[in-house]
Amino acid sequence: MTGTTMETSLRRGWGYWWASYVSMIRWVLIQQKVLFAGIIFTQILLGIGAAIMYKFYLGSLDPLAATFLVSGIPALSLIPVGFVMVPILVIQEKARGTYDFTWSLPVPRLAPVAATFTVFTFIAMPIAALSTFLAAWQFDVTLEISWAVVPFAFLASLMASSVGYGMAVAIPEPRMTNLITNVVIFLVLLFSPIVIPIERFPDWAETAHRVLPFFHMSNLIRSSLTEGLAANVAASLIILIAWTVVGWAVVARVVGKRG
Amino acid sequence: MTGARVAVLGAVRSGPSYWFESLGAMLRWYLTSMRLLLPVFVVVQMLIASGFSVGISFFFEEITSEAALFLGTGASIIALILAGVVVAPQLIASEKDAGTYDFSWSLPVPRSANVTAWVMLNAVIGIPSMVVALVIADWRLDLDFSPSWTIAPAVVLALTCGTLIGSAVAHAIDRTSITQLISQVFAFGILGFTPITYPIENLPTWLESVHRVLPFYHMGVIVRGGLTDGPGEGIWASYGIVFGWTLAAAVATALVVGRRR
Repeated sequence: MTGTTMETSLRRGWGYWWASYVSMIRWVLIQQKVLFAGIIFTQILLGIGAAIMYKFYLGSLDPLAATFLVSGIPALSLIPVGFVMVPILVIQEKARGTYDFTWSLPVPRLAPVAATFTVFTFIAMPIAALSTFLAAWQFDVTLEISWAVVPFAFLASLMASSVGYGMAVAIPEPRMTNLITNVVIFLVLLFSPIVIPIERFPDWAETAHRVLPFFHMSNLIRSSLTEGLAANVAASLIILIAWTVVGWAVVARVVGKRG
Repeated sequence: MTGARVAVLGAVRSGPSYWFESLGAMLRWYLTSMRLLLPVFVVVQMLIASGFSVGISFFFEEITSEAALFLGTGASIIALILAGVVVAPQLIASEKDAGTYDFSWSLPVPRSANVTAWVMLNAVIGIPSMVVALVIADWRLDLDFSPSWTIAPAVVLALTCGTLIGSAVAHAIDRTSITQLISQVFAFGILGFTPITYPIENLPTWLESVHRVLPFYHMGVIVRGGLTDGPGEGIWASYGIVFGWTLAAAVATALVVGRRR
């Protein structure tokens, strides 16, 4: 009886997609409670730590450099979530075997992906905001916040999660993914024009960063937090959208395959 | 058969020559059992240390030669300290995970020789990383440094102190995931919140007082003294504090590795 009802129930359309999406959000949250607590804790620590750390390293800063630094903090806070935490989640799911289980559920294949991105965005955004306010207070900077900060930060977060997720599902060897995430963290924290002007880097690094997404994340968000410190915002917007599309294309290709 | 057994049992198991033989054997044992892991750790340490000075230098629009010297020597000192405080516990944790830990400590060698072999193993990681970091920093920042003879005792003391602190933690804690976590906290604290690559005056007063007691800032002072203008003002106090911590860490390590289970 019940079986028949199940089989004839509608498994397509917006209503079904939405119901799947909501149940997948619950599923993502329930299976990784401890991980999320750990992520929130380390992110807050890192975000607060980064602002204070820069102050120690640099001593006093002129107001312009300080504004530049503070307006780079949101991107700096969003990057580890998308490029490190999301891949770690996928690696853990693969190790536990829940990865295959999730894909065997009768939901549209992009519903779990969308659910993961939603959860991570909701974790990342408030912490980015908190770190930024803290840094602004530390360096005594007044930001000129415009409404565009919400969609821009959202796009940056979505892009980072998409590329991180695509990378983690596309690379079969978890240790390789782990290595890449470590390299990303190292390069981003030390060699990236996020809190310092891109002109200060050697030409080759500047060229690389005009293609990589990190500089564009900070440039886009900076344009909504300051007046006149960000240039070529439209180009950054297009490049971030392009990276998001690439991320989604990789994810769709990998998870859409019949194994 | 029986003869050989008697001979082994009858061999002298004390005295300096037995101790040095044991040290050599343990060093060989650790170098061989970690021959795959060790080069990776050395390369990673070199990359972190040299990347550090180059990366931080971008933060300054114009860097004065004094600040450059501080940063360049600081990055190489950090490589040395991280080898002891962060890499040593991670290696011990990986030994515990692999199961070779219990075996190593069941061998018939004096435990002090075993610990000394660990310190020397960390020198194999720390000293090359330090030298490479210094060369890279010199290339990038054009450092004006002049090593004096005090570099030798300073490096030995800083390395020994760091390794003993790191290994006391790693020997004491049985759960390797906790050891890994603590080593990460050490790394974060030393890279970000210890005045080695920047002047101690940049810190708030309370943190400055904390670092005047902890050994890490003083390790920086003594090694930098050896790299720049020799023993300067107040350097002997730093030597004393690092030495005190070395003794304390040695006692702690001895208590932990000396206990019978």
